[in-house]
Amino acid sequence: MNNSNFKIDKKNIDDFVILSISGYLDAHTAPLLEQELEKSVKDECYKIIVNFSDLDYISSAGLGVFMAFIEDVRQNGGDIKLTNMKEKVFAVFDLLGFPLLFDILNEENEAIAKFQGN
Amino acid sequence: MLLNVRNNNFICINADSAELERIRKFVLNFAEKFGFDDITANKIALAVDEVCTNLIKHSYKYDSSREICLQISTDNNQFSVLILDDGASFNPSSEISLDMRDYLANFRRGGLGLHIINLVMDKIQYIPRSDDFPKNRLILTKYIK
Repeated sequence: MNNSNFKIDKKNIDDFVILSISGYLDAHTAPLLEQELEKSVKDECYKIIVNFSDLDYISSAGLGVFMAFIEDVRQNGGDIKLTNMKEKVFAVFDLLGFPLLFDILNEENEAIAKFQGN
Repeated sequence: MLLNVRNNNFICINADSAELERIRKFVLNFAEKFGFDDITANKIALAVDEVCTNLIKHSYKYDSSREICLQISTDNNQFSVLILDDGASFNPSSEISLDMRDYLANFRRGGLGLHIINLVMDKIQYIPRSDDFPKNRLILTKYIK
């Protein structure tokens, strides 16, 4: 799924899904991520990893997408784990205290290990 | 200082979310040249993005024929962005600050944009439109340390 300035690559590994997002996540592009997370929840895939390695920007519209799904996903025994954030993107999460609610990890493998209980 | 228009520090865009990227690049370029570090410049561009997103959504109700104009000005240690619109008047600094612990604990949504603007910027001035000047003026200022 992509837009000229935002792209999502999706891969399924075992019972979790990894969404690698790139570009700019703002009010224009956030609906694309919302659709993708909606699809995962509808498919009852509640173990979700979002890899931010190629994401250059996030605004409140992007943060709002994660807020929209986290409760539902956790109530179903899953989580949305966020990985590989650039410093300037993490700074936006941190500005609002989002690390209190979201599991933000350095590497995708750490998120996989956490889901596997290692 | 403000509205002393020079070509390269003033842009107008249609009120369309597809234009947000252009707005951010415009602000980032000036903020970095002024001397802000990468992270602070990004936060200033974010605050301006949040203002424009709110205008597009709430003030102009996605009518992309409407217009938003921006002007950057600098003076000693201060960097200001003037944002002009002709929608209903709304002062973004009048919102009560969010309690983020409560917000996150209760999985709330919305209202983060205004909170970001207030967290990032050092000074927010708002002058609603009047008979003398037909546009609302919002001036966001950040001081460089």
